[in-house]
Formats: sequence, structure tokens, C-alpha cells
Amino acid sequence: MSSALRREQNRTTGTLLIPALAVIIIFTTVPALTTLSYAFFSWDGFQRSTFAGFENFQRLFSYPYLDQLTAALRHNTIAFIVIMAFQTSFGLLLAYAMFRVKRGLRVYRVVVFLPVIFSLVVVAYLWQSLLDPYYGPINQIITGLGVPELAKPWLGDTSTALPTLMFINIWRWVGFPAIVFLAGLNAINAEYIEAARIDGASESQIFRKIMFPLLAPSLTIITVLTFIGAYEWFDLPFVIGGSNGSPAGATDTLALMFYRLSFGSIDSGANNVGVGSALGVLIFTLVGFGAAFGSALLRRREVEQ
Amino acid sequence: MIKLFASRTFFQSILIINAFIVLLPMFFLLNSSLRESNEFARTPFALARDPFWENYQRVWSEGEFGSYFINSLIITGGSLTLILVLALGAGFVLGRYSFKGNNVIFAFILTGMLVPAKLAILPLFIQLKWMNLLDSRLGLILVYTSAALPAAIFIMSGFFKSLPTDLDNAARIDGASEFKLLSKVLVPLVRPGMAIVAIYSAIPIWNDFFLPLVFLQSPEKKTLMQGLTVFFGQYASQWGVLFAGLCLAALPLVVLYLILSEQFIKGLTAGAVKG
Amino acid sequence: MKISKIRGLVAALFAAVTVVAPGASIASANTEITFWSWRTEDKAFYESQMRLFEAKNPGITVKFTPYLNTEYNAIVATALTAGKGPDVIQMRPYGGMANLSDAGNFMPLTTADVPALKKLPVGILAGAQGYKDKKQYGLPYAVSALGVMYNPDILEKAGVRALPQTWAQLQTAFDKVKKAGFLPIGNAGGNGPALEQLHATVGPTFYGGTAFFNDVVAGKKTFTDKGYVASLKAVADLAKWMPANYQGIDYNTARGLFANEKAAFYIGGNYEIGYFRSLNPSITIGWFPAPKANAGAKRYVGTWADGAYAINAKTTQKAAALKLINFLGTKEFGQALVDEIAFIPTAPYVKINDPAVKEINRWRTTLGTPFLNVVGFRFENPTSSSILQPGFQKLIVGGTTPEQLAKDVQTAVASWYAPQKGKS
Repeated sequence: MSSALRREQNRTTGTLLIPALAVIIIFTTVPALTTLSYAFFSWDGFQRSTFAGFENFQRLFSYPYLDQLTAALRHNTIAFIVIMAFQTSFGLLLAYAMFRVKRGLRVYRVVVFLPVIFSLVVVAYLWQSLLDPYYGPINQIITGLGVPELAKPWLGDTSTALPTLMFINIWRWVGFPAIVFLAGLNAINAEYIEAARIDGASESQIFRKIMFPLLAPSLTIITVLTFIGAYEWFDLPFVIGGSNGSPAGATDTLALMFYRLSFGSIDSGANNVGVGSALGVLIFTLVGFGAAFGSALLRRREVEQ
Repeated sequence: MIKLFASRTFFQSILIINAFIVLLPMFFLLNSSLRESNEFARTPFALARDPFWENYQRVWSEGEFGSYFINSLIITGGSLTLILVLALGAGFVLGRYSFKGNNVIFAFILTGMLVPAKLAILPLFIQLKWMNLLDSRLGLILVYTSAALPAAIFIMSGFFKSLPTDLDNAARIDGASEFKLLSKVLVPLVRPGMAIVAIYSAIPIWNDFFLPLVFLQSPEKKTLMQGLTVFFGQYASQWGVLFAGLCLAALPLVVLYLILSEQFIKGLTAGAVKG
Repeated sequence: MKISKIRGLVAALFAAVTVVAPGASIASANTEITFWSWRTEDKAFYESQMRLFEAKNPGITVKFTPYLNTEYNAIVATALTAGKGPDVIQMRPYGGMANLSDAGNFMPLTTADVPALKKLPVGILAGAQGYKDKKQYGLPYAVSALGVMYNPDILEKAGVRALPQTWAQLQTAFDKVKKAGFLPIGNAGGNGPALEQLHATVGPTFYGGTAFFNDVVAGKKTFTDKGYVASLKAVADLAKWMPANYQGIDYNTARGLFANEKAAFYIGGNYEIGYFRSLNPSITIGWFPAPKANAGAKRYVGTWADGAYAINAKTTQKAAALKLINFLGTKEFGQALVDEIAFIPTAPYVKINDPAVKEINRWRTTLGTPFLNVVGFRFENPTSSSILQPGFQKLIVGGTTPEQLAKDVQTAVASWYAPQKGKS
């Protein structure tokens, strides 16, 4: 590389990178570090008092927080695995279906993506009324089909609440991976596929051997975004189950726990900023390592292919 | 099984089933918004044969939906512009230049994805107050931009990385500056990435009500979702009005999407570079 | 020459006006005060009241802003901690915002500034005091009372002649209602706080009401007390009278079952009456205090101050804000509070016309006992409520036992409440 080009690149790096970094540092990094620093102080309500060392962490790892923490962590992990498995594979299936189908494609493209643009509040209210155990049409349909024992209180039973939330999440988001994958599929050089067809490869072989590997960058994006989304899952559980993760904490998540510890809740009173921030440190470390490790792994795989 | 996998009918039916699952709940919402609240409570899924438009009149007369809508548009549009411009630049540098510290900076930006603004609200509020950016649309735009940028840069740098390096060298030999290379040669090729960034960032911003509730106090600056939160409390028991409000809130984005979807999907899928 | 003279005069006049103007504008211009609340459902009520206030106090305008109730604590805490926020704030009672009082965010109120405070009983005043300094930071505006609401028409159809006095009679009444094809109670399990209120209604007679409250607060008794465990069991026992799939029925649907005359009883607070009537204006609602555990026990009506009005310590409009607080303490405002939204006002000499509210208030003054969790144990985290709300949801489906839940509450409270430290 010529030194003139290098100089120009250095200049370009500065002008293009610094504004973005500045915005992130000022409006994300600084407030985030401040929040994390709260974990090492004891608090009187919203007033910082003395330095507390690791006391808040000790409390976080004792009753009742420890039980809540392990339950929440379990729910986040289940959400990640299930959403990753179903949302991503359905998304891929829908994308491939749209790739193959010619008739009605324009309509399908619009419909598949439609729930993604709906406001979460709208989606939550909508499904809450659909799933209402008393008035809700879904249970009436199930009863009408002659299997009343399957008409469950979906969002109220501790065993079905979390799966139901994940279903609503998938209903709302599946269009996103679908469109990302469709873009990836359309970007594949048609000549590769033609050549494979001429060589006598079946459609499933073409999909597995040619298309899927070339979708790797899209898959990386989706995986990382799903990972972060799942471990910071907040809005849907909050709107539907409230800050305590109703029923009986069955839909509790790490972010919900952080929120109610930091601000208290309307119905149960006082907060504890110190323990809340200790939890924040924990979430941050956990998700940070996970995302960094995962994306490094996925990027390496991409390069190898 | 393999035959089934190959058949178009199979895929057609998958898409049809999916369309039903997507559209039925939405139809229920629309239908319920046209029924009287008490009637809805009695027979939740009867058809609205005789549409009860008063629900919509009620919603419309209640808040200043017009002004809310414009504010949401300004805030979402402003954030989106900033996000795209900044993410293009940073994504280009991080995706195509190899320099010392590239990986460190990339990792640092990734950590920004891990902090939802909601969790740092207290220091953020104090900081905005100090910067004189409270109760200001610009303040909110900057917070949203900062929150969405890491993911946007992550996505964009991936797209820039996937473009062949020959493109750069050819452009440079033709005498293009680095900015020209980016704006004239590469930007058209990463349009799908920009489309992904645009939707992925715009939807949460448009639909957010928490940050506006905390940061914007003047009624004339209220956003659509912020306005709706009051409305929901006020009409908690009047299902019809509530559903009408939900429909009206969802409508602008749906209409915008229906109008733009053709272009949007074309931009997303057609302009893509050959893999 | 003439013209320039006139011009000069005009300029001088203009200058004079601008010099005088600042003083003049303070005297005549509008003082605007901001007023935040979590009662989005009462927006229309408050706005009409503010117009009345403005008519009586020319020169002051009030901007009333209600916020989403689930986000209200976070919004207020953030704004006040950063030294911003409104002039007048609707304050959550007891531990709900005591941490903000203790941090000096609210202006202490004196009886000289707010004479209405003099007329309030001690227990009500406590609802708006700091936890540490016990200063008065707010003017409590309403009290709530817990009891059993019933639908007289359904009871008549079911042949329930006399109102149940004991727990056993209540269950017999439930049986009759069920046989007649109605739901015994609308209460359900989808909402933890609603279950906590259910317990606060039926529980005191089992644990011994105010005496137990005082003992627990003093550290003489613990939550593992036999009576308290029995009160938890009473909630579990009610589950079998709840509607099918009760664990998934949310708060609005549950209340809707009573309001739409499908359920004969609803156990809870007087503040539900407004909601019931908004759903079904033609409903008749009767009220009686929770029945006694057995023939030898006493009946109680759980009660507490349900919110207050406070002034931001950093307000620049202290005089106007005080005027507003004093307006909110008037008999007229209290009258409107009961007439329009069926709240029981703290303001004395208010005439309660509503028969249901009148009945509730009569019983409240004779059988009142503090809402144990709200009045006593919401000041630090983990609060007793934060354990009980999810705990009751588990209890009613058999996911935990009354003994275990009582132990959990005790461990949580003992972790921060000095008189209970080290006790189990």
C-alpha cells in the first residue's frame, strides 16, 4: 500500500469512525459505566451512600434474589434456545418457500413481514385478548373442536406461560429472519445453482451444499441479534406479565428483575439500586462474553467457508 | 420426503398457512374495533355486521393524534438518518480497512449492543439534563442513535466485508478518493444491509414509549406511543375504543409499509452483490 | 421635526414599558404549575377539577399530566433524583415513595402551610411520611377499604337470604350461588397484587388484625405465627370457588366477571366500584366486611391511605403549589372525589351520598385495621409484597404451602427490618 493511500485511509478512518464512536461513548458507554459503578455502593432509595465493596453481590447471591436470579437466567436461556431453533428455522423455511414460489409472491412478502412492524403493545394486547381463558376466541375454538381439556389458561399457568410468550415472540418476529434470509438467497449467483442443476443435483442437495453455506453471514447476524435479544428480553414479558414475571415468576427475566430492583414496582414497593446494579454487572458480563465468543466463532466459520 | 421438499405446492401451502396465522389475529383486532364494548364482552368473536364507527371518533377526538404522529415521524426519521450515515462510515472503515486496533474497536462497539438504554436511564437522564438535552427531540434522537448504532455497525461491517476487494483497487486505479469509493461504488452494493439496518432500528424507535415518557415533558413534543399509554389507562374497560386506538396506532406504519414494501424488498433483494 | 419628536416619545414610552414590564409581567402573567399523576383513568376528573381551581385562583394555570402507572415510579424517581420533575406530585403511599421522601425530594409540609393536615388521623398521615425522618411530606387524599362486594340480584336468585357473617356461612353462600348457575367469586389468580389484596381482605380475622400488626411491627411476633399461616391458607381455600382456569384470568377479566353480573361476589377494595360501574352502569353493588374466621373471632376491614399529594422540594412556584395542595385538601374537592370517582376522601365533613361507599366507610371507621404489607413492610427490598404476590399465585395452584410461604416472607423481611432481624 502506498504511503499516500495509507495517509488518506488514516484520515478517512478518523472522519468516519470518530463521530460514531463519540455518540456511542457519550450516550451509551458513559451512562452504562455509571450504572455499573452503582453496584459497589450502598443506597438509600435513590441516594448513593457509602462504598460497599462486594456487599451488593453477596446479597444478590442470597435469598430471595438468588432464587429469582437462577429462575430468570433459566428463562432467558430457554428463550434463546427455543427462539433460535424455531424462529430461525421457520424464518429460513419461509424464505426458501418465497424463493421457490412464483405465484402470489408479492402478497406473501408483504404478509410475512407484517407482524414485525406492529407495535409490541398492540401485539401484547391482541394476544392477551385472544388467549383470555374466559372470553378468548382461541379457547372457544379449542373447546369447539371437542378437546376442552386443551383449553388452558395459557398465559396464567406456570407451565404454559413462558412457552406462550415465546410463541407470541416468534409470531411477531419470524418475518425478520425470513426477509434477511430471502435477501441472502436472492444474492446467490444464479449461475452456481444452474450449474449444479445441470450436474444433476437435487433441490435439497442444492440447498444444503450451495445455498446454506452462502447464507452464513446472514445466519451470523441473526444468531447474534437473537442471543442479545433473548438475554435482554424485557418488553413482551413486561407488558404481559408485569415486572414480577406473573404468574408466580414463571415469565421472569434478568432484565425484568433489574428493572424492579432499580425502580421498585407499583404494587410491591421499595427498590434496591445497589443489588439491581450488581445484577446489571452480571448481565453485562454474561451477555458480553457470550456475544463476543459467539460472534468470534461464527466469523471464523464464515471465513473458513 | 425429498420429493415433497422439491414440490412447489408444499411451499405454497406453507405460505398460505402462515398468511392465515398472521392475518387472522389482525382481522380479529380490526373487527373488534368496530364493535360496541359491551357487545364485545358478550360475544367476543361475532362479526361486526353493523360497524360501530363511534369508537374511532372517540379516539380521534381524544388526543392530538396528528401532532403525536408528526413527532414520532421526526424522531424516528431523524434517528434513522443519523444511524444510517454513521453506520455506513464506521461499517466501511471497520469492514474494509485493516489497521491496528480494528478488532479492539469492533469489540468495543459490540459491547454497546449489550446495554439497553432503559437500564442506564438514571445516569442518562442526569447527563441529558447537564447537556441541556432534556425535553428535546434532538436529545431523544441522539439516545436512540447511540442505542441502535452498535447493531447497525455490526450489520454494515459484515456487508462491507463480504464485498470483493478488487472493487476497491479498480476504483482507486481510476483515481477515486476513499469517499468516492464508499459513496459511488460500495454504497449501492450494500443497500440490502442498509435496508436491514433501517427496519431493525426504526421499529423499536417508532414503537418505544418508555424513553419519551421519561425524557419528553412538553405535550407538544409527545410521540404517538407515549400518547397512547394515557389513552390505554383511560379506556381500560372500553374494549371497542381500546381496539380502535390500537388499530389507529398500527395503521400509519402498516400503510407506509404497504406503499413502500415493493421498493423496500426490491432494494433489499435485487441490488445485492453476487455472493 | 414633529415626526421625530413623536418618534422619540414613542421610543421613550416603549423603553419605559420594557423597563417596567418585568415587574408588571410577574404580577399579571400566568404562573404555570405542573402536576403529575399515575391515574390515567381519572384524567377527565382531574382536568375538570383543575379548571375549577384556576377559576378560583386567577393567574395560576395547572398542567395535569397522567403517566402510565406501571412506569410511574421510574419516571418520577428519575426526574426527581436529577433535580427536575413537576411542581406537584401525586405520591404513592407508605413505602411506595418513602425512599424519595427520605432523599429530600419533597418539601416538608407544615400544618401552618396546609391546615387540612390537622384534621387527619395519625394512621392516615403516616401514609405520606418519610420512613427515616417521619416528617410529613404529602397530604393524603383518599383512604381505601377492603371488603366483600356482592350482587344482590344474584344472591336473591340463588336463595341467599342473609349476608354471611362467618367463613363457614360464606362457603355455604358460595355453594348456593354455584348451584344456581353463577360464579361464586370473580376473583382470579392472574394478577399477584389482586391476590395480595384478597388476602388483606379475608386474612386479618385469621391472624388477629391490628394486635398482630402491632406485634409484627414491634418484632414480638413473626410471619410464621400460626394465625398468619392460617390466613394464607384461607386464600388457598378460596381457589376452589374461583372461575375455571382462574390462574390465567387477568385482573380486568376477573373484575369484568363481577361487573357483567356473572359472578355473585368480588373480594377487594372500594376503588373497584368505579370500574364496575364504568363497565356496567346498571349494576347494583352491595358491601359487607369480610366474615370472621369462626364464631369467636373478630371481623376486620383492611384500610390504608391510598396516595397523597406532595410538592417537589426544588419547585420555583412554592406559593402556587401550596395553593393547589390546599385546594386538594378542601371539602369541595373531597366531595367531588367521592361523587365522581367513588373514592373515600380523607377530607372531613364530606357527605357521602353513594350508599355502597357510605356503608364501606361506616364499617371502616369501626372495624379498620392497617393493610399489613402496605402500611408496615414496603419500605425496603425485598418487601413482604414482593414475596407474597408471586407466592399467592403459586399457593392457589398448590405450588407451595402456606407454611413455606410464611417462612419465605419472614426470611425476606428479616433481611432488612431491624425488629425482625435474626428471627424466623
